[in-house]
Amino acid sequence: MIYVVDSLNIQDHKGLIDEVYKLRKRVFHDRLGWDVQLENGREIDEFDRLDPAYVVSTDPNGRVVGCMRLLQTTGPHMLSDVFAPILDGQPPLRSVLAWEATRFCVDMNSLDIGHGRKSISYVTSEVMIGAFEYAMDAGIKDAVAVIDPVMNRVMRRSGNAPYDYLGSPKCMGKVTAMAALMDCSPERVASIREFSGIHHDVFAPDLRQTVAA
Amino acid sequence: MADELTKIIDLSTQSNTSDNYLTFIDQLCEHMDFDFASYATMSPVTGSVLGYANYPDEWKMHYMRMNLHRVDPTIHQSARSIAPVDWTRLSRGESFNSVFYRANDFGLTDQGLTVPVRGPFGDVGLLSVTRSCSEREWKLLTRDKISELQMAAVHLHDSVMQSDVLSRALRRPSLSARETEVLQWTAIGKTQQDIGDILSISHRTVEVHMRSAREKLGALTTIQAVGRAIGYQIIYPG
Repeated sequence: MIYVVDSLNIQDHKGLIDEVYKLRKRVFHDRLGWDVQLENGREIDEFDRLDPAYVVSTDPNGRVVGCMRLLQTTGPHMLSDVFAPILDGQPPLRSVLAWEATRFCVDMNSLDIGHGRKSISYVTSEVMIGAFEYAMDAGIKDAVAVIDPVMNRVMRRSGNAPYDYLGSPKCMGKVTAMAALMDCSPERVASIREFSGIHHDVFAPDLRQTVAA
Repeated sequence: MADELTKIIDLSTQSNTSDNYLTFIDQLCEHMDFDFASYATMSPVTGSVLGYANYPDEWKMHYMRMNLHRVDPTIHQSARSIAPVDWTRLSRGESFNSVFYRANDFGLTDQGLTVPVRGPFGDVGLLSVTRSCSEREWKLLTRDKISELQMAAVHLHDSVMQSDVLSRALRRPSLSARETEVLQWTAIGKTQQDIGDILSISHRTVEVHMRSAREKLGALTTIQAVGRAIGYQIIYPG
């Protein structure tokens, strides 16, 4: 189930976002070895203080198993700042119709590699469907996602291949980071749904106001 | 995609004046079928709000007199969202009620949407649109226009940011609500006696506020003060 949490409803989802920060610490610090800032066992950076939106996937027990952070590319965001080396010296994209997705991760420890409800593939698809549907509601046409080659492969194999990349992959800590471009379109969402077999509304019931559709 | 936008004036080819921003807002309403539209931005330094709107004059007066920009959730809550905020999402608390409880009296609806645009310097621009119609019609309209509203919002916000209106707003004189009100009614063409009657204060009180306003604006005459206050966007043209 997908929650979209931003600064307007974060009061109701404080526990959820705390779990997101802990999951990100396990993934980006412990497993991938990225040079990220930690606070009390949580990975939190300055972009978390800029009122981003979080797309959060929970399992049937309410545990956070996947997440992504979204920011407008018109304002401060990671590619314009932290991940600038990926862009090979080129200025970053700036478009009111493009959002940036960062800190995309799933809980590899509690998920398996099959295709069921508790698989990496299912949760990846669910987060992507949630993010694209939320973006489309906002009139957004494209997303630029900072991902690693593993996530890139997962996406290519799940009906969600990026249509292009910005700059070139760059070494960040133990792994490589790359900037993938994806259209926020009904065709892409249909393709992810087809692959994953997720045909239901992915959003948590109390989110009807966040996602206007 | 930008069918409607191409019919609206291109601010990048115009001088950055309040008139052009107001024209942009009027044309946006006309071509996209909204009743009213407004734009607001907050100075990251002083927190003061600069705005343009085509709401009825009586509402603008009320809004300004009550200092509603300080609490208006369509501004302060929407600025913290990355996505457009349908006003149904805003919490129905004290702030919402203080802005909207009298809105109906002024022919305004609380059926609206605010598009927040973030700029690179921590600046945020907010383009709001409203329309009185059925909920179904509203949903269809906003869904249809959402991308164009995003583009209109960034166009307007960038244009305001590139003009000198913000730096002027930073050094603008601080007029009291009463001083502003007196100047605004003067701009509309009211005499001191009229203004005293409208505000239920003596003409002496009107005069003392007017004098103070003139001094703060460095103006010798009332006409000059009104002109400068319009220039600073403290009041709008009558």
